Amino acid sequence: MNKMAEDPALTQATPAKISVRDLDFYYHGYHALKNVNLDIPERKVTSIIGPSGCGKSTLLRVFNRIYSAYAGLEATGQVLLDGENILARDFSLNRLRTRVGMVFQRAVPFPLSIYENVAYGLRHHLKLSRIQLDERVERALRESALWNEVKDKLNTSALSLSGGQQQRLCIARAVALRPQVLLLDEPTSALDPIATGHIEQLLSELQSDYTIVIVTHNMQQAARVSTYTAYMFLGEMIEFGVTADLFTRPQRRQTEDYITGRFG
Amino acid sequence: MSRASGFRYRRRRVTDIFAKTLGIAATAFGLFWLTWILLVTFNNGLHALSPAIFSQTTPPPGGQGGLANALFGSLVMCVLGVLIGAPLGIAAGTYLSEFAERQPAWRESVRFVNDILLSAPSIVLGLFVYTLAVRSVGHFSAWAGGISLGLIVLPVVVRTTDETLRLVPNVMREAALSLGIPRWKVTVQVLYRAAAPGILTGVLLGLARISGETAPLLFTSLNNQYWTDNINTPMASVPVVIFQFAMSPYDSWHALAWAGAFVVTLFVLLLSVGARAYFLRNRINTVA
Repeated sequence: MNKMAEDPALTQATPAKISVRDLDFYYHGYHALKNVNLDIPERKVTSIIGPSGCGKSTLLRVFNRIYSAYAGLEATGQVLLDGENILARDFSLNRLRTRVGMVFQRAVPFPLSIYENVAYGLRHHLKLSRIQLDERVERALRESALWNEVKDKLNTSALSLSGGQQQRLCIARAVALRPQVLLLDEPTSALDPIATGHIEQLLSELQSDYTIVIVTHNMQQAARVSTYTAYMFLGEMIEFGVTADLFTRPQRRQTEDYITGRFG
Repeated sequence: MSRASGFRYRRRRVTDIFAKTLGIAATAFGLFWLTWILLVTFNNGLHALSPAIFSQTTPPPGGQGGLANALFGSLVMCVLGVLIGAPLGIAAGTYLSEFAERQPAWRESVRFVNDILLSAPSIVLGLFVYTLAVRSVGHFSAWAGGISLGLIVLPVVVRTTDETLRLVPNVMREAALSLGIPRWKVTVQVLYRAAAPGILTGVLLGLARISGETAPLLFTSLNNQYWTDNINTPMASVPVVIFQFAMSPYDSWHALAWAGAFVVTLFVLLLSVGARAYFLRNRINTVA
């Protein structure tokens, strides 16, 4: 089932940042991820595609263990971040989340000013002087291509921004902590094409510093932004490979059916 | 349009008009009594209102005086009630919404019991506090009154806190947790800010509710004809004075009861309207 993930030609080109080994996931007993194996290459954009309900968001939510905020959800197997199993009971959640940041489908800024939204995580984790904090906030806003639009109104409410700006603010909020991995769960599905273009442009710039995993139901987007693509179906990892290969020469029938729209 | 469907359309219009008329009539019936009560209270209260209401204490039978001691007593005991009920209620509501997820049966039981407390007759709460805090110490006191008012504020605040926090979108919790910030800090620094207007409205509605409560005070703070600022003694309150004076045969006492009713009604009205206006204004800004 996971031949592609283990194919050395694909996975040894770039070292793996996250290695998923025999991962199973249960929602109140429902078997949502079935024996998933996957290596996510470092400092590249990896897309996870597949039809609704295939488990792509679930897989993403395992990578920073955000699922553990809810009762009745259980992951078994191993997810190795730089070789360390993050599913281990004694692995610190808060330390994990400073290394693995997340951006969600719905951009929901905190009810704080633009500045405080970006500074919030920094204030908690680091004891920075005012000047250092200003620098980190500015850098995060520049990285998320928002600085020029907000530099004169940093103290106004983040809720005054447009939808696309709010989503870039959420990216700034996540990159402010300088995580190693950035998870994005359908980050542009609520945005117009221009705002989507901004975010996609941003991802290609960010991949020199971050390992990026993006869940998207939009195959064109996966083709545009990612170096690697994983196709999931009914909780299983069907195929993983270099994006161009996966879209032009899919190895498996199920993948071909999906990307050619014959999926039924 | 065929004849049959034309007939059906006419029948639906008649039903529509009939239902609308009934609805408007029911609303008018309810509003009629409220308006009447307010008009009579305002009319009689305004006539009885004078500076002496706020500067003099309650008079002996038939004499002239004011309500200063009762207004002060009401203020003291309402503040005590809010100080007791609001922090407990916010803490319990936060627990129910944010920290009880892994014990669903327990959480639903607490919510159910809280709803019972919410609808408990206030005189029962008064009797309860009488046994607990009056009989055991041997005398009536303002703090016993404050406790019984606190027990009325408590379930109101528990419920509004619980419900407002549940309105905060989950993705806001997840976004804050994703920054590696512990749950309690997320709750206090992010969720409270998003839910602040709702929680504050709950506290203000609780305050509005207790400022007119009489029954819980009859058994606890009793009444006091004189000025006192000692919360370990019986203390006058506007509702209890209204209750006592309205049943008396003296015209001067009747006038004071109207004045007291007017002041309390106006206070509650302004508080409710103010709280709702504040909540509506802020909801636009906070709940995304």
